[in-house]
Amino acid sequence: MAERKLSADEVRRLYDQHGPALVMYACSIVADSAAAEDAVHQIFLRLLQGDIPVPGVPGAYLYRAVRNAALNSRRNGKRSVSLEEQPVRAKSLFQHSDENPEAALALQAARLELPEEQREVVVLRIWSGMTLEEAANLCGITTNTAASRYRYALEKLRERLKPFQKG
Amino acid sequence: MKEHDAQFENFLREFQPRRPCALPVALAAKTIWQRRLYAAAVITVTISFSLWFLHQGPPSHKDLTAAGNTQVLPDAGPAAETLSLLPLTQLALEDPARLDTVLTEASRHVLPSLRGNQSTLRVLAKE
Repeated sequence: MAERKLSADEVRRLYDQHGPALVMYACSIVADSAAAEDAVHQIFLRLLQGDIPVPGVPGAYLYRAVRNAALNSRRNGKRSVSLEEQPVRAKSLFQHSDENPEAALALQAARLELPEEQREVVVLRIWSGMTLEEAANLCGITTNTAASRYRYALEKLRERLKPFQKG
Repeated sequence: MKEHDAQFENFLREFQPRRPCALPVALAAKTIWQRRLYAAAVITVTISFSLWFLHQGPPSHKDLTAAGNTQVLPDAGPAAETLSLLPLTQLALEDPARLDTVLTEASRHVLPSLRGNQSTLRVLAKE
């Protein structure tokens, strides 16, 4: 599909549409939410400046670009705190539809306990709405591996969030 | 099991990622504006310098002395003129021997003379 440069309005619309999930995805790679936002902003600022053309359907491109930016950020050691060392913040990255902040914090804590490769797949599947095949393509793994990681991640999350689940 | 998973997936989807900070659009706009301004400034300076250089032409003896900056000394005579720096620099790079000649010639008009009755040194000596 042909690549093209986006107008400022289109970039803002994309940010509104994908921004929260992209930050969440970057959070599964870098140490904290500030570094994750930095990585996402870096990509969108370049789009605003018209530096990079994007494909007709920009979703996959955005995730790939954010993944690379987050990996670079981590490699350059911009944030010295590892994800595992990071304390669970009082303000969760999530908000629950029933305004249940305890559940949101529990999910954040449970997410941090997942190994990075499982965390990445579960974020892509649940909050970015990708299929396992799309998530596997983005992560550079086979669909079977992605499915396996996803299953393990769900098991761990289910265990941790049992007290908050209805029914 | 699949139904169980689907149910739990729906539960997870009840949690939504928080909205990140607004995109720093002003910063992006400022960067673009600064780039354009810088490019415009560079182009303007380059064109101005080129036009000025073309207008000046090769340095002649007339160019080497600027009538406007004449510093009249009591005994310097009517031809006293100071030299302008830019043509001299150009001449120094292109023809140092000619520069020497020009400076010697100019010094006769610029430096104070001791010969005249009203020369600066004579006036000072009388005082």
